[in-house]
Amino acid sequence: MIELVQILIEGALVGLVYGLVAISFVVIYRASKIINLAQGEVLVFGAFLLWTFTEGAAGMGYPLPLPVAIALTLAACVAFGWTIERSVFRPLIGQSGFTIFMAGVALLILLRGLAQLIWGAQSRSAPAILPEGALELGPFLVNTRLLIGAVFTIVLTQALHVFFTRSRLGLRLAAVAEDHTTAHSLGVSVRQAIAVAWIMGTVVATAAAVVLLSGSILSLEVAVIGFKALPVALLGGLESIRGAPLAGLIIGIFEALASAYLDPLTNGAASGLLPYVVMVAVLLIRPYGLFGWRKIERL
Amino acid sequence: MRPTGIWFSSYAAEARILETRRARAWLGLLTAALVCLPFLTGPWLLGEMTNLFITMIAVCGLYVTVGMAGQINIAQSAFVGVGAFTAAKLSGLGAPIWAVIPAAALITGGVSVLFALPAARVKGFYLALTTLAAQVMFPIVILALPMSWLGGLVGLPVSPPSLFGIGLGTPSGLYFLGLAFAALAVWTTYNLPRSRVGRAFRAVHDNDSVAGVMGIPVTRIKIAAFFAGALYAGVAGAILAYLLQFVTVSSFTLFASVWYLGMLIVGGLHSPLGPILGVIFVTLVQEGLHSAGNAILQSGSGLGGGEVFAASSVVLGLCILAALIFEPRGLAHLWTQTMTAFRLWPFPRN
Repeated sequence: MIELVQILIEGALVGLVYGLVAISFVVIYRASKIINLAQGEVLVFGAFLLWTFTEGAAGMGYPLPLPVAIALTLAACVAFGWTIERSVFRPLIGQSGFTIFMAGVALLILLRGLAQLIWGAQSRSAPAILPEGALELGPFLVNTRLLIGAVFTIVLTQALHVFFTRSRLGLRLAAVAEDHTTAHSLGVSVRQAIAVAWIMGTVVATAAAVVLLSGSILSLEVAVIGFKALPVALLGGLESIRGAPLAGLIIGIFEALASAYLDPLTNGAASGLLPYVVMVAVLLIRPYGLFGWRKIERL
Repeated sequence: MRPTGIWFSSYAAEARILETRRARAWLGLLTAALVCLPFLTGPWLLGEMTNLFITMIAVCGLYVTVGMAGQINIAQSAFVGVGAFTAAKLSGLGAPIWAVIPAAALITGGVSVLFALPAARVKGFYLALTTLAAQVMFPIVILALPMSWLGGLVGLPVSPPSLFGIGLGTPSGLYFLGLAFAALAVWTTYNLPRSRVGRAFRAVHDNDSVAGVMGIPVTRIKIAAFFAGALYAGVAGAILAYLLQFVTVSSFTLFASVWYLGMLIVGGLHSPLGPILGVIFVTLVQEGLHSAGNAILQSGSGLGGGEVFAASSVVLGLCILAALIFEPRGLAHLWTQTMTAFRLWPFPRN
């Protein structure tokens, strides 16, 4: 029993990290109607930027205090998000969702190449920003880094939810997510929306990178997390901020249970397959995800 | 638009793909050149060309699914992998090549149908996600199955092909194999849009609600689009297996699927010429960067093969973006425009 609860706790905490990465998908979609396949690469870019300002700067002989490094990283994320909006998505405003999806494919290839050219393919240790260790809660052990990440995810979710449903700017972004042309004709600046979306998406992805990688290994392969979080985002529904961490919890718990009880029987395949099986099953029952907007189609 | 002086005296003549005698002559010349190539060059170029043919077959399949039917498929590389593993397994059991290639195509098609079945309820990007599931599941399943089935982490050896007692395992044999099937793939890709199914694909691509109202069985057509695209992937995988002589999971990654999509976008999504031009262009760029990289390597600046690959990633990414932003119809459209301008010279193209 204790073992089961321990597995559930770990699964839930890991699931909330998936949820955090999924939020970075949802934020971009919710504000600009762009499904960004390259989100994993954006996350890696954020992680490398952070590495540059902490370990990289220290390695070159200019050690920066941590708050300054984080501020510089945030500034670089804003610049990065704005650059992508300006150079890639502004010319594509009004194009079909298919074209914009393909632009995401292009970004995926481009960013991976760029990251390798700038930082090289070798893996390195990620800066340890969150404390490593475990908290003892009765008979259970809780990973501190993941716990902080989980609390952060929940707070961020609530904050973003309020932002998107209550604030004026958030509602304007929601209009852009509904339809570019309609939003434009109502006087909403689609350009501004996409820029805001990308800046928020990059910042959230970098935060996810901190939670995910703090004190472990940073390499180009980390980008795979994007494809692990995409099912989570779709499961929750692409328009729903609060759906993402919930879907993350579902996927994380199922994955932990499968890896504890089914993996020994299936040669280690079950925990890899299960998130996708759950995702396809849920999509068959609810095609727009758990909390997504149900679209009405007209001829 | 046709220039003046080209006219038809029968419907059959008008329906031809190659309308003029000059076009047919050019095709004959191209065929002759491609057939003569193995007798003129060495094994390096032949290997490159065979690779190009295999990629072209796979991207033609992607054109059918993505370009014609509008269903996003990010698992083409996994489907190629299914074809390759099927071919390796069957050839290991002693099956002849004329049985292996169709079997690989059909089994790959069957696997793709499995992942296209959610089309009954899910549509749009959510459907593309099931193909992502296929791509991610493929290596996990292969690695988890017992070693004796599909080789697991080690991979499967492939016995060299032979047809009617003639060994096809040589570079030129594989070249002809690739050439024959690439020609078949291109021929079918050009003819599919003119068929009933092809028009149904196009209708589903343009607007699936309207297609349903017109009496097209939308779900069945979407599944058929995935099946057709995967048939090409299966053939490409089988030939790739014969070329590599050893198949492992690591050759069929998600990134390769994305790369295939990139080639299709650069070439053009709306014309059967797209996959051909896209594959040739990207291969040329890759080879150009490769030789440039080698030149730099010899000058001793310490660049490795990884950087060359990264540089070609950057170039391909920029090419796709440029295509999407400046010419969404891709190289295929540029090609037709150039040809029209050339034909109408000195009059301006309207």
